[in-house]
Parts: sequence; C-alpha cells; structure tokens
Amino acid sequence: MENEMTLTFAAVSENEALARMTLTFFIASLDPTLEEISEYKTVISEAATNAIIHGYGEDPSGMVEVRAMLEGREVTVTISDKGRGITDVDEAMQPMFTTKPDDERSGMGFTIMESFTDNLKVESAPGSGTTVTFKKTFSPVPEVCRTTG
Amino acid sequence: MEQMIEMLEGGFVLVRPAGELDHHSADEIRRTVSHLLYGGAISGIIWDLGSLQFMDSAGIGLILGRMRDLRTVDGGTVILNPSSTMRKMFEMSGLGDHLLDGTATDAIDKLGGILHGK
Ligand SMILES: Nc1ncnc2c1ncn2[C@@H]1O[C@H](COP(=O)(O)OP(=O)(O)O)[C@@H](O)[C@H]1O
Ligand SMILES: [Mg+2]
Repeated sequence: MENEMTLTFAAVSENEALARMTLTFFIASLDPTLEEISEYKTVISEAATNAIIHGYGEDPSGMVEVRAMLEGREVTVTISDKGRGITDVDEAMQPMFTTKPDDERSGMGFTIMESFTDNLKVESAPGSGTTVTFKKTFSPVPEVCRTTG
Repeated sequence: MEQMIEMLEGGFVLVRPAGELDHHSADEIRRTVSHLLYGGAISGIIWDLGSLQFMDSAGIGLILGRMRDLRTVDGGTVILNPSSTMRKMFEMSGLGDHLLDGTATDAIDKLGGILHGK
C-alpha cells in the first residue's frame, strides 16, 4: 500500500485531536493492533502539542504542518512548525526536561515519542522552527484474520 | 472532557475521566480536582483510567501536579486500570509503584497500607 497526505492547521489546542484522528484514519487500512494504534496516536499527540504550545505559544496565526507517507507497512510522519525552535535539542530530549513546568508539562514528551517509534529525528533551529520525523512499522496481519477478513 | 468524581469514605477522592485526555482537555479536570483539594480534607486520590480512551503526557503532568498538591497533606495516589500503552508511559515517568489493576476498594486498601506505613 502506498499513500501520501498533508494537513495544515492553526496552533490551537482543539487541533491536537484533529491531528490524531486524521493520521489514525490514514493508516486504518493496515489493520493495526489496538496497542499499535494507541502508541502511534500518542506520538502524534505529543509532537502536535509541542508545536502548538512550545513552537507557537498557542498563537492561532501559527500553522502546523503534518505530512505522512505510507510505504508497505511503514508509515513516515513529519510534524513541523515555523515557531520558536529549540536551542539545545539533546537537552530538550532528556526525560523530565521541560521549559514550561508551571503549565504542568511533565517533560516526558520526547521520551515517550522515542519509545513508541522505530526511529525519531528532531531538527530545530532557534527562531526558525522545529521538525519532528518518525517512522513506525506495523506488524503483519495474522494469516487467520487475512483469510477470514 | 467527561469526568466523574466521587468522594469515598476516609477522605479519598475517586476520579474517573472518560474520553480523551490531552493538553486541551486536561485543564477542566485539573480545575475540578484542584477545587476539591483546596476545599477539604482529602487523604488521597484514586485515578480510575478504565474508561479513558486516550491519554498522552498531559495526563502524566496532571497526576504529578495533583501529587504535588497532596504532598502538603501527606496524601497518596493510586492509578487504577490504565491501558497497556498508558502503563508504559507511567512506568517511564517513575509512577510504576502507583499502578493497580482492580476496584476502588482495592485502591483504598493500597492507600491505607501506604498511609499506615505498611
Ligand atoms: N516544537 C517545539 N518548539 C519549541 N520548543 C519545543 C518544541 N518541542 C519541544 N520543545 C522543547 O522541548 C522541551 C521538552 O519537550 P517534551 O519532552 O515534549 O516535554 P514537555 O512538552 O512536557 O515540556 C519543551 O519543554 C520545549 O522547551
Ligand atoms: Mg511535550
């Protein structure tokens, strides 16, 4: 299966659910397990929320772009913003590191993203924005399901 | 965000969020629970996540924030029935000791044990 999509939305928190739903629909044809779906959804939610709150400070004139590509059973997702950017990416990716402790951010976003993907890449430059790219391969559908489904 | 909050005996609060818990929906539940915490004698919070369809790290921040509030009253926290994805996130965040599969009564037993230093 090969497919491709792009979605652009304003940096408002309602759109966290929009990003999750759209990208879940995009991979639905792969018949993923419930656990695969919920991990994939979580990663999207983390990256989209970061773009909205850290990249743009919830300024609705900021636009978040999501691109997804499906090749066989592997999906590649890119979530990018042209917001504030990150000065030290290695530091930002440490567990519990957050620049917004007063907003009850846990600082676990990147740690969760790394754990639930096969490959996570973060590119960022202060003042020009952040791009998070991840890949996830969905397990093959068991033979029994394929013949009956 | 749909949520159900119940006061149990012994000053324990049972919070049962439903639907999807993300940064967008966390605020409302934070307000409700914080209100209760500031208002009365609370000895612990039981988060029953069995009806929650989705949670990201906003849920971790929400629970850690309330644990901080509870520290002043020495209150405990139990996280009931998380999905396996949620369980992994709590374990990564160092909250593994608070997880429990069971009923609110099991959670109260666990909290009683914690509070009495067992
Ligand atoms: N898109 C982004 N734009 C700017 N800064 C970001 C972005 N994503 C992450 N960051 C920075 O990296 C830190 C860690 O992110 P994360 O692990 O998701 O934790 P949290 O969101 O809880 O702070 C954030 O506090 C923020 O400083
Ligand atoms: Mg985050």
